[in-house]
Amino acid sequence: MKRTVDVNIPLGPIHPCFKEPARVKCETKGERVIAAEVELGYMKKGIERIMKGRPWQEVMFLAERVCGICSVIHNMVYIEAMEQISGIPVPPRAAYLRVVANELDRMQSHMLANFSYCYTIEHETLGMYLLDCREQVMDLLERLTGARVTCAYIIPGGVRCDIHEEDLSFMLESLTRIESDLLRYTGMFESGPMIALRSRGVGILTPEAALQAHAVGPTARASGIAVDRRTQHPTYMKLGFATVVRHDCDNYARIMLRFDELFQSIRLIRTCFTGLPTGVIRGGGTCKAGEIRYSGEAPRGELTYVIKTDEYGRVVEIEIQSPSIMNIEACCHSMIIGADSIADVTSAFVSADPCIACTER
Amino acid sequence: MTPSLFWYLQEFARPVWLKKFFFARTAPLTTPPLFRDFPEPTGKPCQHVLFCMMVCPAPGAIDVVLDEDGWKPRIHKGHCIRCGLCVEACPNGVLTSGRVLATLQEQGTSLEVSFRIAIDRDLCTGCGNCATACPVNKEIDAQLGAGGHSSNEEVIMRVHDGDVRVLHEDKCTGCKTCENSCPTRAIQIARILEGKQQNPGGVSP
Repeated sequence: MKRTVDVNIPLGPIHPCFKEPARVKCETKGERVIAAEVELGYMKKGIERIMKGRPWQEVMFLAERVCGICSVIHNMVYIEAMEQISGIPVPPRAAYLRVVANELDRMQSHMLANFSYCYTIEHETLGMYLLDCREQVMDLLERLTGARVTCAYIIPGGVRCDIHEEDLSFMLESLTRIESDLLRYTGMFESGPMIALRSRGVGILTPEAALQAHAVGPTARASGIAVDRRTQHPTYMKLGFATVVRHDCDNYARIMLRFDELFQSIRLIRTCFTGLPTGVIRGGGTCKAGEIRYSGEAPRGELTYVIKTDEYGRVVEIEIQSPSIMNIEACCHSMIIGADSIADVTSAFVSADPCIACTER
Repeated sequence: MTPSLFWYLQEFARPVWLKKFFFARTAPLTTPPLFRDFPEPTGKPCQHVLFCMMVCPAPGAIDVVLDEDGWKPRIHKGHCIRCGLCVEACPNGVLTSGRVLATLQEQGTSLEVSFRIAIDRDLCTGCGNCATACPVNKEIDAQLGAGGHSSNEEVIMRVHDGDVRVLHEDKCTGCKTCENSCPTRAIQIARILEGKQQNPGGVSP
């Protein structure tokens, strides 16, 4: 049967709602979207090719420059993959500090994702509140690592620097303030009638469709699928990590799930600080030859590094599989289809939090 | 009833507003406490160890040049990514950047640099370019000829029986001159970095 398409509407690559360039081509009938296609390839960096033949101290900096929003997790997954290859043990104190850095990074990433959703549905007040809150989290990250983004905090066998006593008390104080602010903003989002009109029942991703498109991260967890690589991470298992799941399957669920995870991150950081072991932060150990496929949980889902090294620890082959490509697939095959208006296409696309920089590398 | 001029003045020329308008203040620009700045010299004499150059992840960000009063590290700010690895790798504390050096000394952390020479026997033609080009070899044995032959046992590498032999890997400074002079890309220098800590200075709440 021949489909009748009224207009083929392209959104992007330059669009006020998108943080990064991607083109969403929507086939519409009236205002209803009947098919969508996402076109990528506007910011290819070829970073995996640059990484080849370099030692870890150079690849580490390249790895965290893959993505500007979730740089700590790229650093962490790459270094942990190298540690698995070479059999380098991590001192417990360093493992806890890594979790703190990673969770702070996840917090700021989730806040930015929720900001861009609020901005897309034109609730700029809440968006700006969230950005203000994000700045405070970035300050904490700087207190811990010395830089806001691209921290270069995690090295094989430990971390770069220890946490000072005054920084620790400052961070605990700030976390209390951030938590009370976030409670207020979450309440604003949860009970706002206009937000509910724009978010509830929009961009439905059923669990079956999520499984079919291999959705990962908060996008899958908001559809009731409990996938999280952190459940298999030894340090997170020690901290008593439990996956957060929601079953509403719509935009509202995805954003609320990120708010839930923010509070979970704050709890994890507090647990880390109360049980912070004493001892060294660098255990030593050099990188050796080997091959591994290692995954970690980025703010957007499962991030995988496939690395092969030579006998001196130089990277011979490297492949990065980033989470966003699966979520973008889920987005254009399920969430956008059947949207009642073009305005819902951008909000559904942004609610999946696609990171184009990670996807195209 | 129309409001009087006095009412307008009272309403819109409030002293607080006028003060804010004429004496607008923004927050002062401050450097955050843990900011990692570009590396700066501390004043300690550079020993020409070159570890800063060897660990630098950004191409062309740092080089060590000979001044009239000795060797000096020079930072090229357009290339530097302010990672602080040169500060950590320097064994003599020549450079500092933000709180990195102070933190290192306080916590006893260091990055240990070592170099390994890997020679691909299948590609090596035994031409001896590497042994001749090596600046350390030149200092040890000034007689080292174009073929790379040497009777000195102290050189890093020499050609023996038509094959390059590495004698003292530990003397390598990682400069990669041999790598650049090799016609078949048979020799490669691996720069190995290891994070170490002497005394744990950890705090716990």
